[in-house]
Order: sequence, then C-alpha cells, then structure tokens
Amino acid sequence: MSQSQPTEVDTETDADSERESFTGQGLPRVEDHRILTGRAEYIHDITPENCLHMALVRSMHAHAEIVGIDASEAEAHPGCELVLTGEDLRGEYNPMPTGIETVTTDDGEEAPIEEWSLAADTVRFVGEPVAAVVATNRYVAEDAADLVDVEYESREAVADGMAAREDEVVVHESVGTNVVDHERLEFGDPAAAFDEADHVVEGEYSWGRISGVPLETAGVVAQYDEEADAFDIDCNIQLHTLVDETIYETLGYDADDVRVNVPADVGGSYGTKIAIHRYCCLAAMASQQLERPVKFEEDRVENLQGGDMHCSERDYRMRMAVDDDGTMCGLDVWFVDDFGAFPRYPVNQVLKPLSVLTNSYVIDDVSYEYDLVLTNKTSQTAYRGFGVDPHIYALEMIVDDAAREIGMDPTEFRRRNLIRPEQMPYTLPSKNLYDSGDYPATLDRIQEIVDEERDGGLLDPEIVEAKREEGKYRGVQPSVIIEPGVSGSDWTDRQRSDREDLEERPREEVDELPEHLRATVGEDGTITAFLATDSSGQGHQTLVSQLLADELEVLPSDIEVDYLDSVDAPTEYGSAASRMAVMLSGATVGVAEKLVRNLEAIAADHWDVSADEVTYHDGVVERVSTSETLLLADLAAIDADGDDHRRSVSYNYDHPATELEEFDEALAQKLPVYPTAAFGANAPIVEVDVETGEVEILTFYTVRDCGTMLNPMIVDGQAHGGIAQGVGAALLEEFGYEENGQPQAITLFDYLLPSIENVPKIEMEHTETPSPFTETGAKGVGEGGMIDAPASIATSINDALEPLGLEAPADRIPVAPDHLRKKIRDRER
Amino acid sequence: MARSRDVVTIPMSVDNAGGTDGPVTEEITVTVNGEDVTAEVEPRLKLSDFLRYECGLRGVRVGCEHGVCGACTVQEEGLTVKSCLSYAVQADGAEIETVEGLADEDGSLHPIQEAFHETHALQCGFCTSGFVMATKELLEANPDPSREEIETGLADNICRCTGYQNIYEAVERAAAKMEE
Ligand code: FES
Ligand code: FES
Repeated sequence: MSQSQPTEVDTETDADSERESFTGQGLPRVEDHRILTGRAEYIHDITPENCLHMALVRSMHAHAEIVGIDASEAEAHPGCELVLTGEDLRGEYNPMPTGIETVTTDDGEEAPIEEWSLAADTVRFVGEPVAAVVATNRYVAEDAADLVDVEYESREAVADGMAAREDEVVVHESVGTNVVDHERLEFGDPAAAFDEADHVVEGEYSWGRISGVPLETAGVVAQYDEEADAFDIDCNIQLHTLVDETIYETLGYDADDVRVNVPADVGGSYGTKIAIHRYCCLAAMASQQLERPVKFEEDRVENLQGGDMHCSERDYRMRMAVDDDGTMCGLDVWFVDDFGAFPRYPVNQVLKPLSVLTNSYVIDDVSYEYDLVLTNKTSQTAYRGFGVDPHIYALEMIVDDAAREIGMDPTEFRRRNLIRPEQMPYTLPSKNLYDSGDYPATLDRIQEIVDEERDGGLLDPEIVEAKREEGKYRGVQPSVIIEPGVSGSDWTDRQRSDREDLEERPREEVDELPEHLRATVGEDGTITAFLATDSSGQGHQTLVSQLLADELEVLPSDIEVDYLDSVDAPTEYGSAASRMAVMLSGATVGVAEKLVRNLEAIAADHWDVSADEVTYHDGVVERVSTSETLLLADLAAIDADGDDHRRSVSYNYDHPATELEEFDEALAQKLPVYPTAAFGANAPIVEVDVETGEVEILTFYTVRDCGTMLNPMIVDGQAHGGIAQGVGAALLEEFGYEENGQPQAITLFDYLLPSIENVPKIEMEHTETPSPFTETGAKGVGEGGMIDAPASIATSINDALEPLGLEAPADRIPVAPDHLRKKIRDRER
Repeated sequence: MARSRDVVTIPMSVDNAGGTDGPVTEEITVTVNGEDVTAEVEPRLKLSDFLRYECGLRGVRVGCEHGVCGACTVQEEGLTVKSCLSYAVQADGAEIETVEGLADEDGSLHPIQEAFHETHALQCGFCTSGFVMATKELLEANPDPSREEIETGLADNICRCTGYQNIYEAVERAAAKMEE
C-alpha cells in the first residue's frame, strides 16, 4: 500500500483537497496489457478438455416449408456425435421468449408468435438454423452438416417492410398479419398545431438495414452437469444478468441452474450481442444430450446472413408545421420498422426516440406513430443508439426541408427553435427530461469553427467555387443533437403491457433495476471490485478502479476489478443505453461508503472502542485518540478470524430517475426514461463528386458535452468510435435484400465496414456541463457519435448539393453513390 | 466469477497411423516465434486455426475468415499475411511471428505495444493483434511514415471500436520510440 502513511488527525478535508483525484484523468487502461500481448481470453479462446464442436445447418430459403430432414448420412459420418433437429427440441425444451408474445388476430384471439432455436415446420429467413451438428472439431462438424439433407417446399417471401403491411404474404400464418405492433401517441394538440401553422412540410426518408457488426462473432461453450442438473454457459452475450432469461426459460430451467458467464474480454458488441441466446441454448441442449462440453463459434457469413443481429430498418413519413417567422409549431412522426422474421427483445427500439422526441428543439405538439412489421429477413437486435439514430436523422431531414420551404437559413432556423439554457431541466412533450446544457452556445461554437473554414480554409468561397467547377460540391450543415443516456428498465416492456391501462398506472408499480457492485478487501490489502455487468471494450475495469481509488483514497493499482456471472449477480440491467458512467459512479460511491463503515467497525471492535473514535482515510483506519492505524491488510486479517465477513460488501445503486419526482409521469406510463442528455454539434465538411456520387468527408468537426468526464481518454475513444460507425451508416453499410428475400450482404466484401481510409480526421472539442441528476455529474456517453453523425453527414450532403436545387438528396441512409447519382440524373432529365 | 483456464489445444492434427480411412494428412514443420513446431495436419487446415489451436497462440484472432478484417494478421518470412487466407501446409518450413512474439520474456512491451497502450488505440482489442503486426511491417519498411502512408499501410485492417484516430497517434508514437 503506497498511500498508507497515517496523516494528521482531523485533516480529512485537507487531505481531500491535496489528493489528486484519479477520476477525471485520462488514465491508461488496465485492460490493455493482456490484450496487447495476446493473452486476453475471448470466448473463442475457451475450449475445455473433452469439448465437442457444433455447426449449424441453415435455410437457404427466405420462406419455405420443411418437408423432411434426413440426417442419417451425417450421423454416420466419422466424428459426428449428434444431430439435433427442430423436432428433437419440441417436447423437451421451450420456444425462445420473444419481444411480443401474442398478437390479437382479426377474430379477437391472442395468437402466440413462437420462435424455436431450430425451425421445425417453416423457415422464415435465409440463414435460419434447422439442424445442429456436433462433432470432434469444427471442420468435421461442417462436413457432417453438409450431409444433412433438408427437403423444402419453397413459398413466396416478403422482404420489404412497406409491402409487408399489405399482408399479401404473411410471415406467421397463425397471427394472420405482419403488423405485430402499432401505437400512436399524441402529446399536446398536434391537430390544432397543424391547422393553425403557416406551412405544413412533408417528407419521406428511409434508413437502410445496418448493424454493429463487431469484429468478434458470437461464441459459446456450454457444459451440462448431470449430477447438479445444471448448466455452465460461457458466452459473449451482452447484458448477461438481464437477458439470461432468454436462455434458462428456453432450456426450461430456473435462473439458478443456468450459470451464464461472460469473459472479461469481449470483442465488441455495441448492443448486438444481447440476442445471441439461440446459440447459447443450442450448445446447452447439445451438451445435455451428450454430457460433454459443446462449443459453437459463429462464422462471419452466418453472422451477417442469419445471426439475428441486424438492426433498425425504417421508412419515415415526417410532417412539420412551421410559421413564417421560423417557429416550429408541430411535428408528426410516422414510420414503419422492418423487424425481420421475429419480434425479439429489442422491439422497444421503436419507442426510445420518444426520449429525444423533438431533439434540441422546442416543439410542444407532437404525434408519434409506428407500425412494427415482420418480413422474411433475419431478426433485429440492438445497436448503439437503439433506434434513436434513424429518428434524429429523419427529424433533421424534415428540419432542412422546412427551412427550404420558408426560405430561411437552415442554421438560423435551427437556432430560433433551440431549447434555451434557462429552460433546463427541460421536460419534453413525451415526458422525459433533459438535465442541463447550453445548446445555443454549442451551435454558436460549431458555427464559429465553420466560419473559420470559410475564411481561407476548406470552405473558402474561392476554393468551393473552383472545386465546383471540377464537379466537387462542398458543404456542411451543423445541428445540435441529443444523446439520451442511462435508460430506465421498467419502460422497456411497454409492448408487453396493456397500454390502455398505463394512463392510470400508479407510480408505485414502477420497478426499476439497480446497478450492482461488490467490493472485498483481500488479505494482502488489495481491494477487488466485482462488476455485475459485462464489458466489451468500454474500459469498465479501468473506470471502476479510478472511481473506487478516489472513494477509498488509495491508488487505482491497489484495486482489481473482476466480473460476476448470472447466478452470483442479481438480475440487473448492465452495459447498454449509455448507462455505465452514471451507474458505476453511483454504485462506486455507495459500495465505498459501506466498505468504509465496515472497516471502521472492524477496527473499533478490535480496539474495543466506539465507532466514532475511529476514522478511515487513505487506506487505513486510525484510532483518533492515539493515532494508531490498521492497514487494509490488517483489517482483512482481523475480519478473516471472525464470522462477520465485514470486509466484503455489495451495493445496489438505484436508477437516478427513481429519486426524482420530475420523472414520475414518464415512469408510471412506461414512456422512455433517460435522465441524462449528453449533446453535441457536428460539422462534417463533405465533398460530393457529382460525377460518381461519392462522398468524402474532409474533416469531421465536433463539439461535445457529456457532463463531467470521468476518463477523458475513454470519452474521446467512445466518441471516435461512435462517429466512425456513424460514417459507415451514413455512407457505406447496408444489409440489402433481393425481393425474394435473398440477402445481398453476407461477407465483409458486401457489408462495408469503414476502414482507416474512410474515416476522416475527427477534430473534437468538449464542454463539460455536469448533470444535476447524477453522482459525479457524468452523463451517458457510449452512443453519441452513432446517434448524431449520420444525421449531420446527411444534412451536410443536402447543403453541398443545394446549388443543384435537388430536394433532400440525402433522403436515404446510406447515402450511397448510386443513390446520389440517381438523384442527380433524375434532375438532369 | 471469472474462471481462468489453461490454454488447451484442440486436436486439429490427425493421428493417421496405419489407417486408410482417415483424412489425408501431411507433416509440416513451422518455426513459430522462434520455436519449431512439427505436426501432422490435414491440407485444409487454415494457418489461422493451426496457430490458434495447434500452437495455442490465441493472439491470432479470427474475425471473418475471408481476408477482409485483418484480425488474423501475422508475419510470415517478415511480411504480413492474413493467416485465415492460407493453409498450414503452405507455411511448411516458414518462419512465422505472431503478436505473442513481440513482448520481452520479462513481459515488457514492444514499443508498438507501448504506444498502442499509451494512446488508447484499442478498445475491445479484437483487432489489436492485427494492427500491431501491420504497424510492425509498416515501420520496418518506413520508420517515419506520414499520415497518408499510415493510412495505406493499415488499410487492410478493420477496427470497429476506435474510429482509427488514436491508431494514427499510436503509429506515430511507436515510430518515435523506435527511432530512439
Ligand atoms: S480473419 Fe483473416 S482477414 Fe478476417
Ligand atoms: S478495438 Fe475493437 S475492433 Fe478494434
């Protein structure tokens, strides 16, 4: 212990002010060493003795009946140990839980939507697993999988969300419709606002199917223990303490009998891996049948075509009511989200946009309506932004269109409608709150940066003119964009609740999940904290060691951070929805307070004095009257001799919104609750080549505010990564489909991830407006770039092509070259 | 609680003694991080799988198995290759270096590894072995690369987390360290 010299008595405040705080510093990460040396253990690296390997037989049809499966040749193949088909699962196991359990049919019946880990009668998307083959290694398993003979009778497929609404082809016959959820919400009086406004502007925008595509695919190693009749499942699922129910319910076991453990290192998730339970279940079932460990490593083609991991695909119809003076009076949002074949857990992605309904603008009268539609495509999962990214994009598009309609400069139009700092905390029509921030100042600052570029820089009028002559159009259009942070959990089953009753729902029924943290003092005096969440690159181990070092007045290097599995940890939410900076801040303070109290009690008992005669500081407990001290190691040793186990504590930090009356209405009605509003303004300077339709981003300026920065280095990294994913979404990525449901992007040659050549230089500035609602003033920061970059790139493309007089050229994401060329060609005709 | 495990190698090599039914195999010897490894392997065994499972070198990461992501990048005869795109039998007699070969015995990091750590050029780390190996080749050929040269040198590797900004910094810092 390097900080354990006793200081003078009663100088706690002095010691505090002298002590340099670790929180707020860009400390390099503790995770790095093991990764850089190749020693980190990802799920693909875990292979127990005696382990077998699984491969899956997947449908090549988008929609077909399974007439028969002949597995005899596969079973006879040397090294093949087991073939499981959909039929084998019925009776023994359960279907997987879905996001919408039943749909009310035309006859008023509640028809269930059943999803099984393996399809038995009907396949509904290309890549849907129909059989699992287990063999000595993956090569042999794939050989045997090739020998499984599946006879199909192909059926017509539907692969377009808008077309699916017509129900000419129905994905689930039992429910009779593809529109499995629909809701219209009204806030204020939108009808009156639209009646009275000087103008009503309409626009249609679409957001193509994209997703996170982490570099590491899904993986699982399942081990069934016959004696205990229980499972050990190592896997890289995200939110393992929350979504473990998708595994144990499918297996038909209690939560305590299915131990889900996630390695400390996961090769990226960005939300996507919350939905890999199919693989976990199949490996577990196979392991149970064979009584041997079974491993599954998803390959990239499986992942892209049938990995249950695509995300939002939306068609928007937006309307905005505006007055001549540039006041935004009303907003009408309507969209269809194509969820693929099954409405899985992330169905609430259609609702999260309510948390930032009007983005940074004051608009009191708003309607919001969606159709959640099923098609013959792989199912959706979550992805960074969780459905907010398309909403912000569509909103910024209609703002551009409205500015054009009333003939006002688009930046001025935006500025006039910004929420002002004196309105903070600001309650949205949809009842969520923005905590703090000066949006006009942020817009002014980004505008200043743009103006500098207009003066001899990238946007100098002479250069812009000269470039235009070469067919290269430059432009930029900033706006202030909000990142909702720290999702509550209670609202996330709105689709599974009776929505009529929600209006009257009492506040007491709200049940939020906490963030759980443990800490224990080891006999060598080091402290180990245990996270109940899983991590996938965010640096939580570093963050907790920083936060806890400050609370306990020790060094971060005195603290180890480990992880709990789903049985040891309580059900809690975990890493998603830009939560951890805030939730871990609160949890760390709470766990440290408890630990200090206990350590003081151990010392007081030891000296046989009362608790107020001892005081904790700098990793020691001091007896006030004598200045005697006990080190952490001493205290641990004393505690180890007794039965009280006071050196180990756990703490549940409650979601910050639960403490604040302002959120009561949103909480009770299950409207999305996100108590922190990080914000930023981007100025990506784009250059569009009108000959090729290609877009280059010359420099990406951004001014961002996520409240207090706990580790500025990690904050920057999150912003960089989010923006890079936003660049990919805006310009490159898409899971296209043929009309017959055949996927067009099944390799990384087709699904284009941005490389170092595609991501521009990012010039970033920060402001720090602390959140009044959180322990450290931190706001959520994980998703921002992915939420704001696509919209900013799209508005900048609109600006660049303004001289061509095109209407909303960026009305489709990704703004791919063929899309822009078509727009330009159509105009030339 | 996180369980730690020893590295277990999976039998990807084949015991073919005397039989005629088993798969065709070939004996190969590859020098991996300075040590000779001899194994009986099927011709279809990918070099990446050979390194990961036969040699227990899990720093060789596999992200796509079709040559796009670069996570599996290793050096073969001093040049980077994507180990998912070749077969172990093709590396017979060759010298291979993986990320595990970079740090000193005493655990002290190679300047490139140090630079990645100091500049926060990794998040989830799944791409990192590949980037470190690609950077090594780049700096061996060009000790003081410009931003454009870094871009070209690392264009065959994908990172989904960092947005590459800090990777530029890391390469520049590593170049400066290696200059010293
Ligand atoms: S795994 Fe070899 S390039 Fe992706
Ligand atoms: S650090 Fe995650 S892919 Fe590069």
